[in-house]
Amino acid sequence: MNAPRHHVVVGSGVAGNQAAETLRSRDPESRVTMITVSKLPFFNRYDLPRVFRGERDWRKFIIYPAEYYLDNRISLRRATQVVSVDSARRTLFLAHNETLHFDTLLVASGASPYMPAELVEYRPQMHGFGSFRDAIAAADALPKDGHVILLGGDTIGLDLGRTLLDIGCRVTVVIEKHTFWPHEVSADERPRYIQALTDMGFEVVDAAARGQIAAVRAGEPGLAARRVLFRDGSEIHGDIVMPFFGVAPALDFMLGSGVDIERGLLVQPNLRTTNDAIYAAGDVCQIWSDADKRYRFYYGWKNVRAMGELAAHNVTGADEPWVPTQDEGLQLTADGRIHSPFWEYA
Amino acid sequence: MSAVPAPRDLIVNPTGEAVAYSDDPRDVGWVVKNIPCQSACPAATNIPAYIRAIAEGRHGDAYEINRQANVLPGVLGRICSRQCEKACRHGWPGNGEPVAICNLKRSASDLKNSGHRITEELFAPTGKRIAIVGAGPAGVAAAHDLSVLGHDVTLFERESQPGGMLRYGIPAFRLPRDILEIELHNALRLGVELRVGEGVGKNTSFPVARLLRDYDAVLMSAGCMAPLPLPLNGEWKNRDPADTCPDVEHGLPFLMALHRDEKKTVRRRVAVVGAGFSALDCARVAARLGAQEVVIHIRTAEEYIPVTKEEIFEAKREGIRIRGLRTPVGIELDADGRLTGVRFVQNRLGGWREGGRRLAIPIPGSEFFEPCDTLLIAIGQKTVNDFLDVPVELDRWQNVRIGENGMTSVRGLFAAGDYVTGPTTVIEAIGRGRQGAAQIDAWLMGETRRRRLVRIESVAEPLRERAFDFIGRQEMPTAVPNERLRSRTLEVDLGLPAQPCQEESKRCYLCNLKYQIDVDRCIYCRACIEVAPRACIKLVESVDIEADGSCGKLREAKEWNKVGAIWIDNNECIRCGACFKVCPVKCISITRNEFVEVDQP
Repeated sequence: MNAPRHHVVVGSGVAGNQAAETLRSRDPESRVTMITVSKLPFFNRYDLPRVFRGERDWRKFIIYPAEYYLDNRISLRRATQVVSVDSARRTLFLAHNETLHFDTLLVASGASPYMPAELVEYRPQMHGFGSFRDAIAAADALPKDGHVILLGGDTIGLDLGRTLLDIGCRVTVVIEKHTFWPHEVSADERPRYIQALTDMGFEVVDAAARGQIAAVRAGEPGLAARRVLFRDGSEIHGDIVMPFFGVAPALDFMLGSGVDIERGLLVQPNLRTTNDAIYAAGDVCQIWSDADKRYRFYYGWKNVRAMGELAAHNVTGADEPWVPTQDEGLQLTADGRIHSPFWEYA
Repeated sequence: MSAVPAPRDLIVNPTGEAVAYSDDPRDVGWVVKNIPCQSACPAATNIPAYIRAIAEGRHGDAYEINRQANVLPGVLGRICSRQCEKACRHGWPGNGEPVAICNLKRSASDLKNSGHRITEELFAPTGKRIAIVGAGPAGVAAAHDLSVLGHDVTLFERESQPGGMLRYGIPAFRLPRDILEIELHNALRLGVELRVGEGVGKNTSFPVARLLRDYDAVLMSAGCMAPLPLPLNGEWKNRDPADTCPDVEHGLPFLMALHRDEKKTVRRRVAVVGAGFSALDCARVAARLGAQEVVIHIRTAEEYIPVTKEEIFEAKREGIRIRGLRTPVGIELDADGRLTGVRFVQNRLGGWREGGRRLAIPIPGSEFFEPCDTLLIAIGQKTVNDFLDVPVELDRWQNVRIGENGMTSVRGLFAAGDYVTGPTTVIEAIGRGRQGAAQIDAWLMGETRRRRLVRIESVAEPLRERAFDFIGRQEMPTAVPNERLRSRTLEVDLGLPAQPCQEESKRCYLCNLKYQIDVDRCIYCRACIEVAPRACIKLVESVDIEADGSCGKLREAKEWNKVGAIWIDNNECIRCGACFKVCPVKCISITRNEFVEVDQP
């Protein structure tokens, strides 16, 4: 009798969980292992702005209870880091020196907040928003009705900004090329959207007009806790500074694996990488688009969930192409507010 | 297949050291296979030896060990392409990150005593005269070695100062000129006559034919200094836009002009095409010249380009962006003939090329336009031979063809470095230059005066601790990006300070240490297998013997009665010493096996 196939899913976000669920239902006899670097099991990261409204109990963010993984025979390995992949030998190397064999690998490791390399060294002066712990730390550092500076202002940041304005904070958005990411706003339309930010209550500072962001430093004693310095010598002050420059695929562990990579894992429309045993789903993959004649990313939880499901289908014998499920256009509402379809997660 | 070979017996010399010298293929093969960093280094630098010297605080010794293979350690410690680190066993799957070999090389140079003495064992004068054409890395390395060997060397250089690509191609923020000056001086001070501003060949005072008459041998190491043209389509097919558009320039002439202190400017948005160190250098120079947006366009993707991850990261910290999967197919000019942008075609990744690079396959119908004001083309270089006044046989790439003895089709005319191979790396050019020097010496003297042997020395106890395996790679401190961009010369990498340098040196597995079990004394208690942190000690039936006589694949025993020996798999061994310490009968020996050059008796 053959040993059951071992499906390994790396990542426990929307794509990874949807993939694991689909793998379990389509291949009931198989082993399914889900590996995540996160200590928390699958939680609703889109709901993280609630932390700033005072919700500090991590259990309120968890989507599936522990029993779900037991009942579905999904071996969930939390706080486990994959450091490299040998695709030829179908082996994962884990940070604690364990090796793990797989029959199929589904990479759904998502993306991490992107930080322009020129600002990396100022990261200690900024508050991230990529995890529950980051959100708690940022909320703890923010005084009541405090002043938050959002650098970049991608849609994740602007979504948080809406909550911050709602709870009475002062919010400054330092606009630059990542503002509104991942939406593509034409140069002609951009002023209208910038105006909409102002109308919504954001204060707007144009980084380009000040020669771009130069540094983020601690504030002087007695003044606000942080300073953002610009290359023209000017500076603005706030209580916390949060970077929102979009996201970058989390695929360091795939470098050197033999699988094709550009910015993300390059996959065919069926979400298969250049290795027959390895598929990818979610923010980590760049999907070939026949229409655009290029590899491109698709964002938004509906897209990501559909990718997880499709990848698992194709891992288990299907061969269906990816079809986007979510509108990608940034909208202006009748009352002059910005609305992103990616915010429709409630 | 053969029986398990016995370890070589060591001879105890009068000073009490147990040392042997060997040219046995098993010993030679062991060193080649088991010291991957040294095997990957084109100059065959004895990397474990110099890292061990650093770990012991002997930075001067480390510098000298480097200098035996590479006469410019402080230079290469800054700009080497680091083939060694790609091969480092510490970077193999499951072992973590490679040792920061290159940073350690630099530290040995930075941290040696101010009173450090360079030691050179000079051969007696031979009376032979040798001319070398080109004072780049290959020419300088060859000049140094030939002068050590007792020959009178004259080095001709067309530019006003020596160094070649090191001086004229690499920006000072990567290679400070004071470091270059010192090491060039040290390389050439053994009596090399340096004639700068002196071209060779047609229409000069020194035709090659004259050099061949006046000298006993001539070495051509003129490098690879002509930029490759950018192949474009449509109206730009077979035309070089750099000839007609003031906003388009080739990268190497751009850098060379800059380093001759000519005034160079770029406009606001700069596009660079190319994927090598020169492309990165062009982009980083453009950022320092005031460009507000610098984008490097590459045909494949970041992971597959032949530059180090550190260089890419530092370029990004300076605000430079890299865009992949695109090939330029045309440029657009406005009515005044000024550049408005570049037309690209989208690529997909194709098959693998040598050195981990990839092919790029253009996708029909996927053209797109990227606006820019300045275009720098840095897609490679080729050799130039039109200056030669003697008929020399060329290969199909129009490089000079040399025989096994390094000589061209013209008697007495040798060639080495990028001039022969096409564009490579500095360390490769140095390795080739040294090889060329050895070949000239052998030809002139009628014998090989130095040969390579394996020196095998007994080591009393393990030199590593298991805890060393958990030290993380030490990061190179760097200058703040905003400050860098205000200066064309401020060095970006600041060098590892002494303490992190020592920590990094402990990470080296010391692959030159050979752990071996004496099967005649082993009692098969398995204690070593129990304590081994990896599957590095194996019960084997036999060991394959390779064609060169060296030990190959281990045939592991599946049953007890088939066990022929207990064997340390040196591919898996991380030299932690746990087996040595636990062995109750002390049947495990440690030797240091390394290549040395010795005089031919």
